[in-house]
Amino acid sequence: MLSNLSEVRPSRLASLPPKAIAPSVAAPRSPAAAVLSQELIAGFQAWPVWMVMGWDDIRQRYRRSVLGPFWITMSMGVFILVLSIIYSRLFHTRLEVYMPFLTAGYIVWGFISASTNEACNVFQESGRIIKQIKLPYSVYVMRVVCRNFIVFLHTIVIYVPVAIYFKVVPTPMSLLAVAGLLLVVVNQIWLTIVIGIFSTRYRDITPIVATAIQLLIFATPIMWMVGSARSLQLVADFNPAYHLIELVRAPFLGMAPQPLSWIVGIGMAIIGWGLAAALLVRTARRIVYWV
Amino acid sequence: MAAIILRNLSVHIPIFDVGRASLRKALLGRAIGGRLAESKSHVVVKALRDIDLEIHDGDRIALVGDNGSGKSTLLRVIANVYPPTSGTATILGRVSPMFDATLGISMDATGLENIQIAGTIWGMTRAQIKASIGDIVDFTELGDYLKFPIRTYSNGMMMRLAFAIATMREPEILAIDEVIGVGDEGFFEKAFARLSRLIERSQILIVAAHQDDILRRMCNKAVWLSHGKLVAYGEIEDVFAARASDGGRGYADEDAPRPVEARA
Repeated sequence: MLSNLSEVRPSRLASLPPKAIAPSVAAPRSPAAAVLSQELIAGFQAWPVWMVMGWDDIRQRYRRSVLGPFWITMSMGVFILVLSIIYSRLFHTRLEVYMPFLTAGYIVWGFISASTNEACNVFQESGRIIKQIKLPYSVYVMRVVCRNFIVFLHTIVIYVPVAIYFKVVPTPMSLLAVAGLLLVVVNQIWLTIVIGIFSTRYRDITPIVATAIQLLIFATPIMWMVGSARSLQLVADFNPAYHLIELVRAPFLGMAPQPLSWIVGIGMAIIGWGLAAALLVRTARRIVYWV
Repeated sequence: MAAIILRNLSVHIPIFDVGRASLRKALLGRAIGGRLAESKSHVVVKALRDIDLEIHDGDRIALVGDNGSGKSTLLRVIANVYPPTSGTATILGRVSPMFDATLGISMDATGLENIQIAGTIWGMTRAQIKASIGDIVDFTELGDYLKFPIRTYSNGMMMRLAFAIATMREPEILAIDEVIGVGDEGFFEKAFARLSRLIERSQILIVAAHQDDILRRMCNKAVWLSHGKLVAYGEIEDVFAARASDGGRGYADEDAPRPVEARA
């Protein structure tokens, strides 16, 4: 067992009888609280493990490449530039309005879509470790979210020259981006747990998620603005992805997100975490057999 | 104090073929009333059946049995990886599993980076990893090669590093699955010496292997599994003698599906 984990665990479970502290596996399903403490909380606390794994994933992907993760920055930057020039004319929107909007929205979308796609593979990719040492399942979840957040930090660089060039002035509201981003990440973690568990058991989930992601980029106001077609406001309002993106994009553009976006973001987090916890309690003993 | 106490332990491993693992089958199965029970009952391999076993400090267990007798499954239960389907498994003590010597090895990372990654996965602190690097350098004799990506290594060099990494922890219970017998003759003796030191420091050793002579050198007791059942447990020579007189058959249980070691 991990030495730093077993050090952490007893203090957390100090109120439980000694038998429960021992790293033992008993056939009757452990109480939900014990499962969550072992599979979720202990994993979040083991941050050196998933940080190292996440960083190594990035290094693996870009080993021997000169630009490294900045390739994503480059390709995303070029994509945004070309799209901005064409679409701003198509939509009859001024470039100085359209381009900051697209840039801020697209980099947040990049994080959400990449993490969600990779969530399908969260337990399979770590299968060799899962079958050899018992680590909390949240370690593998955080590995995926962490490495995508590192990529996100690389793409956020694109926004700086765009904001400077088009003179998007930061306002006090811009600070809300931190809270918005936190809410996006918190939602992404439970989503990764839920999708991860389902797609480990049912292998058809992966293409379903990939299709949904492909559809969502068109159904969400990322490349088009709600303002350009009022009737589309309804499409946006019923789209959770829109609200998550707005929580970060609006502050980036110097505005406060709509109250509805906060409500949806926080509501999703509460319901989603409840779902993820219930699912994990139900399946924690079986995931290893599905991998 | 370390101990492994298994009571009435069974492990059933579900096998999903492509069709059954798919969501469509589950959904369709639910829609068509009569198939419900059938779609729910996937193939189950009874990898371990009603095992009762107590292992205490100082026990050096040789785990023997044919391929598919449940050795790897039992080791995974002891490593807290496989939760039992029924019965209980109480594992007291920090377990170091050594099932796959290449755990955590990423080919494009350097030798030193691999030591760092593996150490972190094993739950070692930065200081502990740093302290063990000197030892690994000595053992592997890789020198400056440790700063090279390991895909540039020869097979022998890779094996040295993998083995050194797998043995860098201080375990209370050491569970080994067929990782001995690697590399060239000279390396084998060296690896064996390193393993012996590790075994001395651990309180319980349980090792699955097919080479009786190696097991005799390392162990004092033996567990003999056949078709997922415990045939014999006791002093190593007694168990080996019993197995020899039986022709190594153990339980010839025709009715039960032959358990398969789930390696994938």
